Amino acid sequence: MKNLNQLIAASILVLTLVSCNKDDNNDDHVAAVTDQQVMNEFANTVAYGAYKELSTATQNMHQDIIAFQTNPTAAGLTTCQADWKAVRKTWEQTEAFLFGPAATENIDPRIDTWPVNFVDLETIISSTDVLDETYINALDDALKGFHPAEYLLFGLNGTKTYQDFTPRELEFLTALTLNLKNLTGQLSQGWNPAVSNSFYHDFTTAGNGSTVFPSKQSAFEEMVNAMSGICDEVANGKMGEPFVAQDPSLEESPYSKNSITDFTNNIKGVQNVYLGKFNADGYGLEDMVRTHHLALDTEIKQKIANAISSLNAVTDPFGEAIISQPTQVQNAIDAINALQAIIDDELLPFVQEHIN
Amino acid sequence: MRSLFNTMTNSKPLLLLAFASIFMACEKSGDIQTYEENEWLSGGSQTVFIDGNGAYSQSFPILDAAKQQVHDIGDLGFESSFVTAPAPLHSGLGPVFNNVSCISCHIGDGRGKPPLPGESLQSLLIRISIPGFDAHGGPMPVPGFGGQLQQRAVNGAMPEAEVQMVLNYITGYFADGNSYQLTEPEFIIQNSYMPMPANMMFSPRVAPPVFGLGLLEAVSAEDVLQYADENDKNSDGISGKPNYVYNAVTGTMDLGRFGWKAGQPNVKQQSAGAYNEDMGITNPIYSNESCELQPQHDNLNDDKELTDSLLHAVAFYLQTLAVPARRNADNPEVLEGKNLFMYSGCGSCHRPSMTTQMNMAFPEISNQRIFPYTDMLVHDMGAGLADLRPEFRADGFEWRTPPLWGIGLTKVVNGHTNFLHDGRARSLAEAILWHGGEAATSQQKFVNMTEDERKKLIKFLESL
Repeated sequence: MKNLNQLIAASILVLTLVSCNKDDNNDDHVAAVTDQQVMNEFANTVAYGAYKELSTATQNMHQDIIAFQTNPTAAGLTTCQADWKAVRKTWEQTEAFLFGPAATENIDPRIDTWPVNFVDLETIISSTDVLDETYINALDDALKGFHPAEYLLFGLNGTKTYQDFTPRELEFLTALTLNLKNLTGQLSQGWNPAVSNSFYHDFTTAGNGSTVFPSKQSAFEEMVNAMSGICDEVANGKMGEPFVAQDPSLEESPYSKNSITDFTNNIKGVQNVYLGKFNADGYGLEDMVRTHHLALDTEIKQKIANAISSLNAVTDPFGEAIISQPTQVQNAIDAINALQAIIDDELLPFVQEHIN
Repeated sequence: MRSLFNTMTNSKPLLLLAFASIFMACEKSGDIQTYEENEWLSGGSQTVFIDGNGAYSQSFPILDAAKQQVHDIGDLGFESSFVTAPAPLHSGLGPVFNNVSCISCHIGDGRGKPPLPGESLQSLLIRISIPGFDAHGGPMPVPGFGGQLQQRAVNGAMPEAEVQMVLNYITGYFADGNSYQLTEPEFIIQNSYMPMPANMMFSPRVAPPVFGLGLLEAVSAEDVLQYADENDKNSDGISGKPNYVYNAVTGTMDLGRFGWKAGQPNVKQQSAGAYNEDMGITNPIYSNESCELQPQHDNLNDDKELTDSLLHAVAFYLQTLAVPARRNADNPEVLEGKNLFMYSGCGSCHRPSMTTQMNMAFPEISNQRIFPYTDMLVHDMGAGLADLRPEFRADGFEWRTPPLWGIGLTKVVNGHTNFLHDGRARSLAEAILWHGGEAATSQQKFVNMTEDERKKLIKFLESL
């Protein structure tokens, strides 16, 4: 996944630091926020909050697509396309914490696989198969989820009009979004504090009976590593791969021309985790870092802002920008790599030092 | 202690010194007879210190930039979802297949799980054969089906069959009177696209974790063979038999190392086999479609569907996935658990440590003391686990000792604790209780332990 050399080097640094302060086990700083508060806020406000919104947004999309299926209009299509982008906005933000049910229940690949298998997709559309939930569930990953829905909603070149839709395509879209609704509902329930065996409880009982996280530190490491992981994925996978290969066919959301927005939301997801914020603003890593190491807090926020503004500087659709705006693309990759570096080299050692 | 764990990687003399003094201090108290220096570094210097969801997915911490780049290319290949041919990208899925990408079975580079009753197979597949051997002493393919059952197919092609699973429940008792319950899966193959021969044998296999493979591959065959005792000359009840399997590249019979029955000699061939059989992706080692001569064949002239360089990169990715460090390796209860593990004879097959051979061409894997807890040999595991389907020299009762390193992180990486070849054990304790055959004595010792001892043994396993 990634190389931890730098992390190790940083950990050694921390050790040196710790051994110099051996007698100072009781930190002079009084923490404004407890470990448990940050864990609870993350699990409730950020993770459950985002998945709940994702689930609601997906339900809206499904409803609007049913309405569009009944009565295809230009306005209806605009609504459905906007719905799709709204769903993506939240989903991409949740990619900053791809652990728990999204990973272990294999939901991520089932809703967010690309490229689309449009050979089979066209075959299904021209078939007479009954497109019910069982059928969609049994489909391969590259035939369901966000991107086949994107392909159908926007068309190969992003120029689809409401008159282009065949009844079969609409039927398929309805079935696809029903499946998405069910899977995102499962994600939301998977983090729901009110569900007794949800991952929310695995996370918030870290170091206190959790069968997943033996210590609070391990839960914090999970959070920080996930932040780092999405930076790596955006810089070196989602952006790096098409850019290095100069191959637009490797782009994540080509039909909607939404890739840069996707990437930006990935970084906003990192920001959410750091701030403990999703719509509501709660206690986050930020509050701990600020108490102990104000300069690090400032630097992390700056790196997040840099990453977002350098993504905004890519103004062409990403598939074109890899050729037309190579400097801007490279700058964005560099800024995201720099954000990852500070997470790996400073934030991770910080939580390892401060949380047991 | 924790921060020290996080730093024990490179041989920094200062740190080693600090470690040594702790080690000696503990030794005085007399409670760590089975404690081995550096044993928390399961992968030697290629150990990583991450115990979360990404624990199995880290590249070697020591890897030069050029090799890291190959690793990264392989990482992407491992995650690529194949689609029906012809397609511009990742073309060639199937026509019949088990899954669409490596990662969809080896989720998080970790362990697959069996379906629940009524669910379709996701990260478990069924190997099949009929009595007899093929030209190389391997399993005899089933006419019309081959050596593996593909229960999925691209649109327009027929899946080979459907697979259903039902569970039987077995109750047993520990010596202290406490009861336990085991689940025994029964796989039912139905609705095959053509009749299946009555004498067909089948073997369900769950996707195993894929980290640390390069280190296991780097242990010399001679070292593995020193553990072999095929005819049990030392009369300890444990035979340890090397499997010799067909190397499709060199045409020789080599020591089998990978797969549940050690049916593949190296990581590259194992990967090529999985591409071919699991995903229907033809490649330089296995260049015929898995449904060759079957009606599902797409008759497209697009083979090989995977280039040699990508196959190499994916194999290299697997070879250079690091091993997560142990947690709490010095905890007194964990150490007691380790004593119980060794005392019960578990370590006779789950050998704690090995050393990889010198390799000047690939210094990253050279001469590493590793702690995989395997001997890479096959053992009779008794009738309860037998699949009754031979694979080269491994008979229907024999299975390869699976490595135990990293096993305590299964829950955080994969969200479950299902173990054994078909995932039937729902916990580490159940996995132990299923052991029979050569392991029957050890299993009995576990049954006879007090509850407290059993807990310590499990705690030790969870620290791996």
